[in-house]
Amino acid sequence: MKKTLIMLSVVMLLVSAVFGAGTIKIGVAFPMTGGIAAFGQMTLNGVKVAQSLYPTVLGKKIVLIVADNRSDKTEAANVVSRLIDYNHVKAIIGEIASSHSLAGGSIAERSHVPMLSPASTNPLVTQGKHYVFRACFIDPFQGHVAAVFAYNNLKARTAVVFTDVVQDYSVGLANFFVKDFVAMGGKVYKEFYQSGDQDFSAQLTDALNKHPDVIYVPGYYPEIALMARQARQLGYTGPFLAGDGAEAPELVKIGGAAVNGVYYTSHFNADAPFTEIGKEFVAKYKEMFKESPSALAALGFDSYLLLRNAIKRAGSDEPEKIAAALRHTKHFEGATGYITIDKYGNTIKSAVVNVVKNGKFTYVTTINP
Amino acid sequence: MKRISFKTNFILTVIFVIGSGFMLLWASNSLGDYWARIITLMAIYGIMATSYTLVNGVTGIFSLGHAGFIAVGAYTAALLTLPIQQKAMSFFITPLIWPLNSIQMGFLPATIIAGCVAAFAAFLVGYPSLRVTGDYFAIATLAFAEIIRIVIQNSYSVTNGSLGLKGIPPYTTIWWAWGWLLVTLIVLGSFKFSSYGRALRAMSEDTVAARAMGIDVFKHQLMSFVVSGFFAGIGGALYAHWLTTIDPRPTSLGIMLTFFVLIMIVVGGLGSLSGAVLGAVFFAFSAQWLRIVESPMNFFGLTIPGIPGMSMLIFAVVFILIMLFWRRGIMGRDELSWQYIYNHFSKRVGDQD
Repeated sequence: MKKTLIMLSVVMLLVSAVFGAGTIKIGVAFPMTGGIAAFGQMTLNGVKVAQSLYPTVLGKKIVLIVADNRSDKTEAANVVSRLIDYNHVKAIIGEIASSHSLAGGSIAERSHVPMLSPASTNPLVTQGKHYVFRACFIDPFQGHVAAVFAYNNLKARTAVVFTDVVQDYSVGLANFFVKDFVAMGGKVYKEFYQSGDQDFSAQLTDALNKHPDVIYVPGYYPEIALMARQARQLGYTGPFLAGDGAEAPELVKIGGAAVNGVYYTSHFNADAPFTEIGKEFVAKYKEMFKESPSALAALGFDSYLLLRNAIKRAGSDEPEKIAAALRHTKHFEGATGYITIDKYGNTIKSAVVNVVKNGKFTYVTTINP
Repeated sequence: MKRISFKTNFILTVIFVIGSGFMLLWASNSLGDYWARIITLMAIYGIMATSYTLVNGVTGIFSLGHAGFIAVGAYTAALLTLPIQQKAMSFFITPLIWPLNSIQMGFLPATIIAGCVAAFAAFLVGYPSLRVTGDYFAIATLAFAEIIRIVIQNSYSVTNGSLGLKGIPPYTTIWWAWGWLLVTLIVLGSFKFSSYGRALRAMSEDTVAARAMGIDVFKHQLMSFVVSGFFAGIGGALYAHWLTTIDPRPTSLGIMLTFFVLIMIVVGGLGSLSGAVLGAVFFAFSAQWLRIVESPMNFFGLTIPGIPGMSMLIFAVVFILIMLFWRRGIMGRDELSWQYIYNHFSKRVGDQD
């Protein structure tokens, strides 16, 4: 036992010797194992692409320290604390799920270390915080985009909204969609389901009796795919509209031909990147990982660049100054569009609407804030 | 074998508690924020584990509903201490109902109320469930815990539903957590060694024999269940103010939490309060300490990249080894008392002679 202890302390000493002067440490707090490990992996790939393209800032090498939150809320708080207090990072890219960002964010806020979430869209994440930021847009905006798209582009006047009652993401999005769609003069009917449900025929029959022009399902891909299949069997031919939770290859695998005509709001489309840096990102990503990047990868890429840009503008690697610089990000060119961060730490940027066409995610339009 | 007198025992215990206090003082000042958090978490897990072992170990009825009571305590305390302004901001879909929307109180009363509400929930669950025994009881409590979680998930006007609560003041410090652990240990310790506790242990050995001796089995089991629920609620309240945000996902206040606490008490020794604390400390510590194996390592120029998930693998192997070599957990059913240490010590000396 004693021998192992000595061995381990030697190892730890060596590890700490590796990170010497001339580097800037940035923590990455992602779920690398557990329920949402796939999200962490995808986003980390994007961060890695950014690091290989832009490895330095202020003449110093950027070192990423990845900490796994095990898809667990308690650990989400612990890893942020560990990164700040034990690894002494200057800033954190972190926490994917909104509930994890809420737990980690309060630690970052207390320690005055900036934390930039790539993908937490819940408005509560940055609310009242000065050191928590995000690279993605927030749910109210995504709901707004869906409402505008449904009303203007799909010419829908009657919508049925399916809310996944157990997902805060879905509840938030549905709420904001309804608010904006009704304000524009549309008519909304509500239906409810839960993650893990297999059979939606009761809700769908009820919904189709209302003769909707569009069915809005701000949930995740497994239920959307099943719902689309069952709706087509019941004779519904109109469009579906969903949020970024629909974006996964499994949507087409489960849904087959039925998901053709599913529109969804998203952050990015690899086939139509609208910035130069976006094209550079897609090319490098394909070279490194031999596949097309997902929206999460693009957001991870942007998170890294936003932080790097903030450090550059701050001219310092002090966490306080990085946070101040991040708050003043204006019209920054990222892979997912031009990003401006407002004083609440939220991101103002355009959203993309994609559609499933012949089993492929195809770009439809961009909606600006 | 010599028996340690009550006076020596008492003095040693007081010295031990004061010594631990100084240790904690040192830890909170010089170990940094991160380890201070983990040490606080150890005590919170300790409270959850000791209250759980009262039902599963001492009373010998297998409940799987502990996370439900922890959730009730966490939500009650959080709703009572949340600043009114924060409540207005968080409940943006359905406003919080009166009178919760205009209440804000201190941490101590909120924690005690949380314990009482959780105890009441334990009474409501225990009263019907304790009519069945064995596996059926386990299933019934598991179902009730899920019901509690789903009710929380759907009561938007009280709990903010699946959106959860955030911005809970970070009141839980090392002192609150370890202080409450001390209170828990004193109360549960006295309970275990009172006549009620002896009745509970008799029932856990043989229910029929205990009933033949005139013990009201149902009454005693319900009492143990309610006391356990009270301290689970306290643990939940501390947990909520430690994490500062709670939600009713199955992974945060659901069945996973029950399993974590179950691991702690089985590793520590079913039925032993001090074993439960040891199990909790061990669980919280090794989950963090083993992160070393996940970070990239450098062996004399040879870099080994960190493998995420490696620590959980080692964690599992360690638990299997413990279960293989200490079949009844670290402490078995014994308590880590001065007598226990003395006996072990004198036995060891005797062996060498």
